[in-house]
Amino acid sequence: MIELKNIEKYYSSKGIKHYVLRHVTTTIKQGEFVSIMGPSGSGKSTLLNILGMLEEPTYGTFEFLGEDVTSLNERKRIELYRNHIGFVFQAYHLIDEMTVYENIEAPLLYKKVGSSERASRIANLLDKFNIVAKKDLFPNQLSGGQQQLVGIARALATQPSIILADEPTGNLQSAQAEEIMQLFQKLNKEEGITIIQVTHSEKNATYGNRILNIQDGVIKEDSPTQAPQMGGVV
Amino acid sequence: MFKLNLKIAWRNLWKNKGYTFINILGLSIGMASCILIFIFIRYQMSFDEGFKNENRIYRVVSSWAYNDGNQFFSQGVPLPLTPAMRNDFSPYIEKISAIENSVGLIKINNVAGKEQLKAIENVFYVEPDFFEIFNYNWLSGNYASLKNPNSVVLSKEMAEKFFGNWKNALGKNINYEGNLNYTVTGIIDDVAENNSVPLKIMLSYKSFKDRNLEKWGSVGSNSESYFKLKPNVNIETLNGPLKSFLKKYYTEKAPGKEGHIFQPLSDIHYNDKFGNFSGRIMPIKQLYGLGVIGFFLIITASINFINLATAQAISRSKEVGVRKVMGSQRSQLVTQFLTETLTIVLISVLIGSVLTEIALPGMQSLFDAKISFSIFQHPIILVFMLLLVVFVSLLAGFYPAIVMSGFNPALAIKNKISANTGGLGLRKILVVVQFTITVTLIIGTLVILQQMKYIREQPLGFNPTAIAMVDLLNDSLKTQRFATFKTQLKQVPGIKEVSFCRTAPSSQNNNGSTFSYNGGKDADFQVNTKNADEDYLKTFDLKLVAGRNLVKSDTTNEYMVNETLLKKLNIRNPNEAIGKMISMGDMKAPIVGVIQDFKNKSLHETIDPILIGSLKPRYFYAAIKLNSKQITGTMKVVEEIWQNTFPESVYNQSFLDDQINAYYQGEKIMGTLFKVFAGVIIFISFIGLFGLISFVATQRTKEVAIRKVLGASTIELVKMLNGSFLVMVFIANLVAWPLAYLFVSKWLNGFAYRIEISIWPFALAMLISMAITLITVSIRSYKAAVANTIDALKYE
Repeated sequence: MIELKNIEKYYSSKGIKHYVLRHVTTTIKQGEFVSIMGPSGSGKSTLLNILGMLEEPTYGTFEFLGEDVTSLNERKRIELYRNHIGFVFQAYHLIDEMTVYENIEAPLLYKKVGSSERASRIANLLDKFNIVAKKDLFPNQLSGGQQQLVGIARALATQPSIILADEPTGNLQSAQAEEIMQLFQKLNKEEGITIIQVTHSEKNATYGNRILNIQDGVIKEDSPTQAPQMGGVV
Repeated sequence: MFKLNLKIAWRNLWKNKGYTFINILGLSIGMASCILIFIFIRYQMSFDEGFKNENRIYRVVSSWAYNDGNQFFSQGVPLPLTPAMRNDFSPYIEKISAIENSVGLIKINNVAGKEQLKAIENVFYVEPDFFEIFNYNWLSGNYASLKNPNSVVLSKEMAEKFFGNWKNALGKNINYEGNLNYTVTGIIDDVAENNSVPLKIMLSYKSFKDRNLEKWGSVGSNSESYFKLKPNVNIETLNGPLKSFLKKYYTEKAPGKEGHIFQPLSDIHYNDKFGNFSGRIMPIKQLYGLGVIGFFLIITASINFINLATAQAISRSKEVGVRKVMGSQRSQLVTQFLTETLTIVLISVLIGSVLTEIALPGMQSLFDAKISFSIFQHPIILVFMLLLVVFVSLLAGFYPAIVMSGFNPALAIKNKISANTGGLGLRKILVVVQFTITVTLIIGTLVILQQMKYIREQPLGFNPTAIAMVDLLNDSLKTQRFATFKTQLKQVPGIKEVSFCRTAPSSQNNNGSTFSYNGGKDADFQVNTKNADEDYLKTFDLKLVAGRNLVKSDTTNEYMVNETLLKKLNIRNPNEAIGKMISMGDMKAPIVGVIQDFKNKSLHETIDPILIGSLKPRYFYAAIKLNSKQITGTMKVVEEIWQNTFPESVYNQSFLDDQINAYYQGEKIMGTLFKVFAGVIIFISFIGLFGLISFVATQRTKEVAIRKVLGASTIELVKMLNGSFLVMVFIANLVAWPLAYLFVSKWLNGFAYRIEISIWPFALAMLISMAITLITVSIRSYKAAVANTIDALKYE
């Protein structure tokens, strides 16, 4: 599904190149649950940004669904956002002026989904995540975990094939974090959604089935998850 | 989508109530001012419109070119001009008509022949062709009857005033000036107020008698002439025939070279070189000036909006980022932000309309015009308001929308958009522009007020206070009663002096004549002749510099002149002129006194050479100097005496002070407008500034807290926050000074008596703007500086 070949990213200042990523080559298949790990400043967020087409690599090729997307015009990129990619953020990034319902609805409006279809999809998601009662609340009326649930529901609304998550539990307490990770695992296993997350936590990484360990911009280790997952599925 | 946008817009506006309030306040006041200016301009532009073939209607006006380079203009024409043109210009002109304005006593008798109503009214003698040129709405009768003498056509209003119901008026008689009866032969619908010829009572031109009917050398502003071109004739083609026309009829030698100009109907309301019968003139330049002020107002208000919106942009960067990764196109974001702007502008225009309605009565009394804010009556106003909404929405909303929608989503999501994005540089430039406009207006206002004060305090050379001017009747029958009238007046205790005269020393009513001095040839300039009795000097407190006062007489036996006349004749010593003869036509008399110069017109104009001689039939006014403590009571007695002396006519009085003040009506209006609009612009600019400093203070809360922890004092912090604003306003002052200088020096050039431009208005404007900036900004930055440090540092 995703193929990275020789991805390099550097910033040059005064003629000196500061590498963020070097020789990153990897393939991520449909249905994988990949955790990108590594210390602060290792380049993992940059890698996720490149995967999300928020940044362009300085060098190398990036193929998404068999199509070269290394540098893509805005229109094409927006098409991918609307149909294939869902984002989940550490700080949830819900739109404060919109209710839960409207936040989930927003991407569907951009995708120009018909109103009855929209209503049924949102109803489904609200139901699935147990937040029907909260649909008319505003983000600041929810707990962090609830906000992140809405964030995930919003990412899933367009039925993407891949979810990119940047430290999805970074701002959450452990109980809530666990809940979110279990949700990811369930989505991955039951619905076959590809998930790529950046995380600091070894524990979170165990929910997935593959770990990319990055240090100083280089993939040091690419391994399947060590122990088989213990926790039950919600 | 639009509905959702609107909903989100509403919530956003509600969340940032403070900024929304500032924006709406500024925009609604700015828009109200714009709407007021627009409806005023619309009213002024509607003058003399709506006649059939109005593009072919012209007025003939007169001009004289003098050897000294001066040019003199009049709205009137010599009385024989109209018939001569009708004959000589027949290949080009469809119709031409003379129209003569006059004021006189109208009397209506009832069936029994008893006097039922008498009133002084404005009347016009018109030829029937006048109604072929201007199509009026005829309610009954027709204009053909005006071919015969002693016919009168009335407007509906007049017919109702005289006869109760206009339907009864046809065939009735009215008496004008005692000696002639006119039969009502037609009624027209009332002529709208926005008309340069306010027709109410129209008499047959055939009944008009004047000693100058055949004279080409005499022009009065009461005698106008209008014509309608034949279709497909270019007005330029009349220039050739005009040249031979002038040569043919102006055969007598005169000091000024005569000329005529064909003035288009559409120019009459705007051209201040010529007057018109309605007395309403609005120089097009003033309309432009108002338009420019309106434009500046809306720019200032829009700048507030742009500054606050771009400043707020950072707090919305996250939303932009998220929306972009959800698949929003840039254009969709632009639409969303523009929807928010549109919401604000729409609210503002509604509030602005209410403000307009509130301000309208003030505007009407200021301009003395029936300005209407009815969008049903004038749909163009609605169109203007819609255009204003679109214009302001785009002007104010487009740039912030482009900036905000342009955020890089990767940076926006990580909150890495810094406070400088959204054009801090541009914001500074906009603040400078805004304050340049503000300071220019402050300087303009100060100079205008200073000049007005200068004019008020300018010595006139005579004393106009507490002088009543009472109309006199001067047909031969009534002049006989003058002496008794004067004696009776002088016995009233509240009256100090009485003088019978043609005009007051300063008057809009002036009469120029050719003359020769000391038996020489005719002077190459005209002299302004005034007629007055021997009490003129005492009554108006005029000073003699040589010779003596006039001796009591009913005819012109001797003259007094002013210093300007002697200067123009190159006579240095006033005593030299005493005893020299002045000849004017067939009149000849010696100079007996020289009067110190006095301002005989408005201070826009220089002093005329003046000649004063006694001539009883030319005394149009009784000038009555009153004891200023008992004016009202005394005037009642004066009216009583007047009624007993001239029982057949209608009493009319005015005060010289008021007349002189009326010269400066235009300036007074301009001064008021400047004061109001300068106030509005100052207000808009400073609430914008307040919004901006609020934002900066919020933005720098953390910095302020850290600095405080490091040991900065409150004053140092306030200084730090204020600094850039004071610099911006200072730069704005520097930019405004040359602009304001150009503007005020041009305006002052319109006055013959003017102040010299000094540094003070400029310095004062700087002081005012800097002081208000300092206060506005300090209030907010002080609050930021004393805020609790812990609160600010806790958030991350």
